[in-house]
Amino acid sequence: MAINIRMRGASKAGVAEIKALIKHPMESGVRMNKATGKPYPAKYIDMVTISVNGADAITSQWSGAVSANPYMAVKVKANAGDTIKVVLKDNTGDTGEETITLK
Amino acid sequence: MKRRSFLKGTLATGAAAVAVNAGLLTPSTVLAADWNTKAFTAKTIDDAVSAVYGSAATAASGDIKLKAPAIAENGAVTPVEVDASAIDGVESISILASKNPIPMVCEYTFAAGAVGFVSTRIKMGETMNVIAIVNAGGKLLKTEQEVKVTIGGCGG
Repeated sequence: MAINIRMRGASKAGVAEIKALIKHPMESGVRMNKATGKPYPAKYIDMVTISVNGADAITSQWSGAVSANPYMAVKVKANAGDTIKVVLKDNTGDTGEETITLK
Repeated sequence: MKRRSFLKGTLATGAAAVAVNAGLLTPSTVLAADWNTKAFTAKTIDDAVSAVYGSAATAASGDIKLKAPAIAENGAVTPVEVDASAIDGVESISILASKNPIPMVCEYTFAAGAVGFVSTRIKMGETMNVIAIVNAGGKLLKTEQEVKVTIGGCGG
């Protein structure tokens, strides 16, 4: 299933702040299911890439300790009209991506 | 209702699979680096830092701005912001939570087109220190801040 990402960004003096809100349970694999005594199976985003006009600017690795429905804000050097793309995947192989054009 | 959501699900995955086949989504090439299993299974801060940077020798720095709440009422969503834009040549920022079972929370690697700034939300099981490690020009800089987690309390 594709992972849903909501993303916004605005450029100011050559630096753009990119804010993304991702819909994902971020189950760490440690939390116990009290009814069965077994932990909930791990499902969390582990790789995130942010690119500007096709060139990778930020690559990130996450653990299950990032909050559920993660919020991420980063800054890249970009101007109005540049294309920002976020690609991510989780440990079960689900992927998501979102592209915006800076205003 | 169940049947409907099942059908929706299969349609969505089907579309994704087609996209992968058509080469529109190529996660293996876009996300080139491998997930650092060693860092994300290390039980101590030093082990986790060495797994990422090859060394656990860090120097405290006042140039890193670490913004985290002094008291977090819900440890499952603790906002953390690391601003290292005052430092030149920031290559990477890591965020760790000192008493979590696995301290390493996330690691960001920056290429030329990025600014050393990260804002995210992390899970914390109890009162502990949030640690930010910044790799700038091969030097590891560190700053930390205590966050009190008040689970089940009344904000005290």
